[in-house]
Amino acid sequence: MQSLRHSDSDVVELSVSAWFYRNRTIAGFDNPARSLYVSVRELVENSLDACEGAGVLPEVRVSLQHVKMDSSEAEGMPRGPQVFRLRIQDNGSGIRREDAPRLLGRMLTGTKFTLKQSRGTFGLGGSLALLYGQITTQKPIEITSGRCGEETKHKIVMRLDIENNEPILIHEEQRPKNPEEHGTTIEYYLQGDWFRSKRRITEYFLQTSMIVPYASMLFNNPDGESLQLPRVIEMLPQQPKEAKPHPRGIDVEMLKRMIKESRRSTLKSFLKGSFQRVGESTAEKFLASAGLDPAAAPKALSNENLVHMMKKLETYSGFLAPSSKSLSPAGLDVLEAGIKRLKPEFVVVRQRLPSVYEGHPFIVESGVSYGGELAPGIRLYRFANRIPLLYDERTDVSSQVIRELNLKNYGLHQNDPLAFFVHICSTKIPYKTVGKEFIGDIDVIRREIDLGLKDCLRRLGEGVRRKRRVHQLKRRESKLIGYYEFIAETLSTATDQEVSLVNLLGN
Amino acid sequence: MMGDSYNSTTTPEVISLIDDVLGTLADTINSGEFPEIGYYGSSKKNVEWSENGYEPVNAVPSFVDGRKVESAKTIAGLVYGLTCFKEHLEQKMSMSLRDFYYMHKVKRVQEVLEINGQNETNRLINLCERILKIQGTSVPREEFGVVSSPKGTFYGDVTLSDLSGKQLNCSGAGEYGWFISSRPFDVKIHDINIDAAIFVEKEAMARNLIELKLPETLKIGVGSLFGQPGRNMRAWIRRLADNDVPILVLVDMSPWSLRIFSTIKSNSIELSNIRGLATPSTKLLGLTTTDFWRKNGMLTAIEHSLEDMSKSDLKCAQQNRKIPAISEDPILRKENEALIKKRKKGELEAFKAFGLPLTSLRNLYIEYIKRKSRGFDVKLI
Repeated sequence: MQSLRHSDSDVVELSVSAWFYRNRTIAGFDNPARSLYVSVRELVENSLDACEGAGVLPEVRVSLQHVKMDSSEAEGMPRGPQVFRLRIQDNGSGIRREDAPRLLGRMLTGTKFTLKQSRGTFGLGGSLALLYGQITTQKPIEITSGRCGEETKHKIVMRLDIENNEPILIHEEQRPKNPEEHGTTIEYYLQGDWFRSKRRITEYFLQTSMIVPYASMLFNNPDGESLQLPRVIEMLPQQPKEAKPHPRGIDVEMLKRMIKESRRSTLKSFLKGSFQRVGESTAEKFLASAGLDPAAAPKALSNENLVHMMKKLETYSGFLAPSSKSLSPAGLDVLEAGIKRLKPEFVVVRQRLPSVYEGHPFIVESGVSYGGELAPGIRLYRFANRIPLLYDERTDVSSQVIRELNLKNYGLHQNDPLAFFVHICSTKIPYKTVGKEFIGDIDVIRREIDLGLKDCLRRLGEGVRRKRRVHQLKRRESKLIGYYEFIAETLSTATDQEVSLVNLLGN
Repeated sequence: MMGDSYNSTTTPEVISLIDDVLGTLADTINSGEFPEIGYYGSSKKNVEWSENGYEPVNAVPSFVDGRKVESAKTIAGLVYGLTCFKEHLEQKMSMSLRDFYYMHKVKRVQEVLEINGQNETNRLINLCERILKIQGTSVPREEFGVVSSPKGTFYGDVTLSDLSGKQLNCSGAGEYGWFISSRPFDVKIHDINIDAAIFVEKEAMARNLIELKLPETLKIGVGSLFGQPGRNMRAWIRRLADNDVPILVLVDMSPWSLRIFSTIKSNSIELSNIRGLATPSTKLLGLTTTDFWRKNGMLTAIEHSLEDMSKSDLKCAQQNRKIPAISEDPILRKENEALIKKRKKGELEAFKAFGLPLTSLRNLYIEYIKRKSRGFDVKLI
């Protein structure tokens, strides 16, 4: 399936790369502005993942520079797409020389195909960004990577072979480096429209710095401006652990594959060994209720039997909830530090207990901030698996929850300076579209968001109310004094006698 | 029996009353106590209706408690208002409600009191009327120099001197007669040469009666209310009644006009603390439902001219059922119920629907007034 063969004159088999090349719009590469934004985003996220995976506080430097291809290009508003050089440097663990071309130059290879929370879902965002660059500029890609403890770093210049989903090495060299130094730098060229994506990309960095406040980020943009986002907290969230699938979170295809990969000889031991939260007694009870023989060989099951078993897996109520160890919520301290980047007066953050939808565990973290430098009116910041969601806000489940909140109950008003934060982490985020920009309205998720935000609002409401009370009391007092000063003055003139407030108000 | 009439107070009396209030407030503050002022508000609980009109019963007192911010503002407004009144009285000047509102736009006052519209200052005047009392009776705003825009005219053989000090006869003062003083309490009546006074809701009808020389023919006075009568008109009517002039009122046949009539007869709940505004002996001359709908009614021939009552007319009639001065008055209640039942209203202009030549119309007016007033034992020549 990785090569293009003519098995018949009409039937064409596409490689994965070729298929994505033809259908790149579904991953967001549909116009130069959006492509530029998605490219930056995918590579930054890869870098953050690499650093967190290595357990180091991320340092990500991004530089996007306009490359003048033609001296006749005029200043001012660009007519069409332009060429940019994108350079992303991180301090992750680095890539081994032998893995590098494969990891970056081939689609659907990567470290993200296990069951734990991670930023990407396809594992091809980074590669697709590189592919997009090559398609639009026909220039090679340069990767420099070094690992901790090694004396040298290696630099690879390569190209992607779209038809065969294989990397083509062009040039390779070794350079000496400090053994302490580690990380990867990727540099390549791509077409884009900075003029129309500047706002998005800048907003992306700002919001990312809120959900990843432990990262230090630097973004040099084509306008010569530099956006510096130093880290505000020296603390990494707990890393997620890889987990086996939960019986409620699979489908028939996956079941087939698991059986194929399993070496267990009986159904019972297969269930025990391949799924999380399934032990001896759960396996027995389930098989009894499904009418399946515990001693049957899994590989001998017919297709009908597999479908039957899947149906039973979906409906059986005796499974324990999936483990949340595969999740990595930001944590209250990190979340609060991130929100404080907005310099509000009050911040309240809450973390809900793990919950489950369709066999996928998830945790909702919520935050509400008030006052300070926040602008009047309600703002919503949405994050999923530590990625900011920037578009389609109105259709997102969190927006719907906020629309239905009755702020009056918490002593707040629509025009108050309020910002809401919702972070959902899950092994599978239920995005509504491939663009990964908004989350669908799933009852249990909506409920968790609702409860989380309400909890924050209750706490915040108390604080705001107390503050207002003190403020109001002061205002009333000064008003009262004002009125009596006026009364005393008017009475003095009208009655020709001294009227003093000393006895009444003191001083 | 008539309700209390109002005995006009003298300006020095009012000034000394204001001085008393200001002095007490100054002493209270100097002694270190927050001032507290009690008064009776204009709620239904503080008012009772009887044959003599609305009477204050002063059941539920209200308090302005100087410890509270809002009340302190009221007291500040009150103190300022009283000093304004005093100054105007001393200079023998009057002011309108609008004038009083603008006095709160003096910069140093505006900064402290932050008055938000004339309603606020109007309420202050109302409060002053409730607080300033002489022998248990509220001092009307006219006495401390605040004059609501006067409204209404009166034509007839009555000789008086008003605040101008000039003596005049109400039939010799212009096409509508005398423009009623803003302070009828202070008008001196020298001579009354009429057998009754008819007050007409609409000025067109009143003018017709004057043009047709009815006041001279019947020896009556004709007043024009110009719609809902102002305080000055109501006080003038009361002055005439106190001088034994029978009072007759000619209004439309509609729920709104029943209200107009009831305020002349009984005063209003809002102003029940001001004495001398009700004239309990007032009679409803017309137009009445019996004129159109009783067999021998004088206007049965033009019943077809009646118009349908609008939604707001009907709503008004429904609400009339809750106004004591209408619902507890046997005649007015009957009128109101008849209107609700028939859903029709009649207007004074209906007389023109007879299509009569002017001499016949004049005779019809005379006949109507004579016959209807005979029903109240008021005999006209």
